[in-house]
Amino acid sequence: MSQPISVHNLKAWYGTQLTLKSVDMELPASQVTAIIGPSGCGKSTFIRCLNRLHETLPGARVEGDVHLGTQDLYKVDPVDVRRMIGMVFQKPNPFPTLSIFDNIALGLRLGGVHNRGQLREAVERSLQMAALWGEVKDRLSEPATSLSGGQQQRLCIARAIAVQPEVLLMDEPASALDPVSTLRVEELVEQLKDTYTIVIVTHNMQQAARVADETAFFLNGEVVEFADTTTIFTNPTDKRTEDYITGRFG
Amino acid sequence: MRTAHSRWRKWQANVGWGASWLATALVLFGLADLVITIVGRGAVSFRWSMLTHVIQSTPSGLQNAILGTLELVVLATLMAAPLGILGGVYVSEFAPLQVAKTIRFLTEVLSGVPSIVVGYFGYLLMVLAWGWKFSALAGGFALTVIMLPYILRNTEASLQQVPLSLREAAWGLGMTRFQAISRVIWRPAASGMATGVLMAIAIGMGETAPLLYTAGWSSVNPNFQLVHSQVGYLTYVVWTYIEQPYESAHQLAYSAAFLLLLVVLFINVVVRALLTRRSLRG
Repeated sequence: MSQPISVHNLKAWYGTQLTLKSVDMELPASQVTAIIGPSGCGKSTFIRCLNRLHETLPGARVEGDVHLGTQDLYKVDPVDVRRMIGMVFQKPNPFPTLSIFDNIALGLRLGGVHNRGQLREAVERSLQMAALWGEVKDRLSEPATSLSGGQQQRLCIARAIAVQPEVLLMDEPASALDPVSTLRVEELVEQLKDTYTIVIVTHNMQQAARVADETAFFLNGEVVEFADTTTIFTNPTDKRTEDYITGRFG
Repeated sequence: MRTAHSRWRKWQANVGWGASWLATALVLFGLADLVITIVGRGAVSFRWSMLTHVIQSTPSGLQNAILGTLELVVLATLMAAPLGILGGVYVSEFAPLQVAKTIRFLTEVLSGVPSIVVGYFGYLLMVLAWGWKFSALAGGFALTVIMLPYILRNTEASLQQVPLSLREAAWGLGMTRFQAISRVIWRPAASGMATGVLMAIAIGMGETAPLLYTAGWSSVNPNFQLVHSQVGYLTYVVWTYIEQPYESAHQLAYSAAFLLLLVVLFINVVVRALLTRRSLRG
């Protein structure tokens, strides 16, 4: 079951630099929320605060609270948070020395699944969902690095959803991919949103318009505007949003 | 004007190149002289019977020194490899910044300590104070101290080369730091870590000074007792027997140096192979 995320007064620092200045957002369950904004506006920092990855960087700090459903994510073990909130990164980062199968099975094994049959089933299901099964079903034991960039990224998506998180964070998941692979990833997002609450950071406004139900525009560490995607792109209320989406800056 | 200037620059360039060639040639000449002398004299002096006879028997052999070197290096590796690898993992993955810096500094200091000092310190502490006498364990510990910094630094450096994106992939999947290192991060670093251990073994094998005061010397085969029993080793044969006024002693010394050179060369070839494999894999 996917659950909504609510963020209150979230602030994040890198050393002494305040990168997120008091963000408040309600991210609805089973919907795709896109985060757009110019480079350095705090988009990635924001989603990295949701799965508590931000705090792993030396000197990084977070304040405020993030709830998944009713659970305060900053009051539980970050390892548990990351099991509930999966993440796909900008550059495909499969585990290079592991096979395609083991890349996906590893998370499940750590979660206590050791039955061979169960593992196979879960690996197949995840690869099916990530629209990769047809391409790799005969070469599951080959190293993950033998796949193309687009396939690697779908493998990373499969790896993230294999452990059945409730939320899927995607940090510019298609920015390193060619147009065809990008399209596949976008189709995938469309399919996955029934099962997961998805938050996707993107540089590409067309992409946000294509895949997102809601869109938030970030600027200098603040949420300038957060509304449903159509409103943001056709009738923004804030002048700065309009300037950004019409390409006047950023 | 211009041609004079360019001629001057050309002359400078030639002098620069000439000096570089000369420096390289000097280094290579020294190395070649060393290798040719050891291989030339060693190969002529070496007898297969040296592998099966101890030094005080007739014909005289190196078996006691070979087995002793093996015992000392194995002992030292058993201590230095786990300590160095775990230490490197700790410094790279777990230690707070200040602690990591301190350990790194201490490691530098340790690797800068002259090996004879390590030997003498071992003598005062283990041989005398702890009453182990000249023994394999004391020698093994002394070699451990020599080998440890190499393994630790190499482990840390290879782990540091594993990109952050891979760590984040592991953490993002809900792995603890320990799971991330034990399941994922160590794999791409493994050949680098193995290289560190092998280099340390090669270095330990060629050490003399730390052993003089700790392992002592024995002209019979080691009895594999850890304490109260002296051990012979190859570098001692090189160091001592070359000074004796007998041709048979010289033959033993050159053969010992020849064997050491072969083993170190072999280790280096393996290290090269490991490194190539790593760079091929990207």
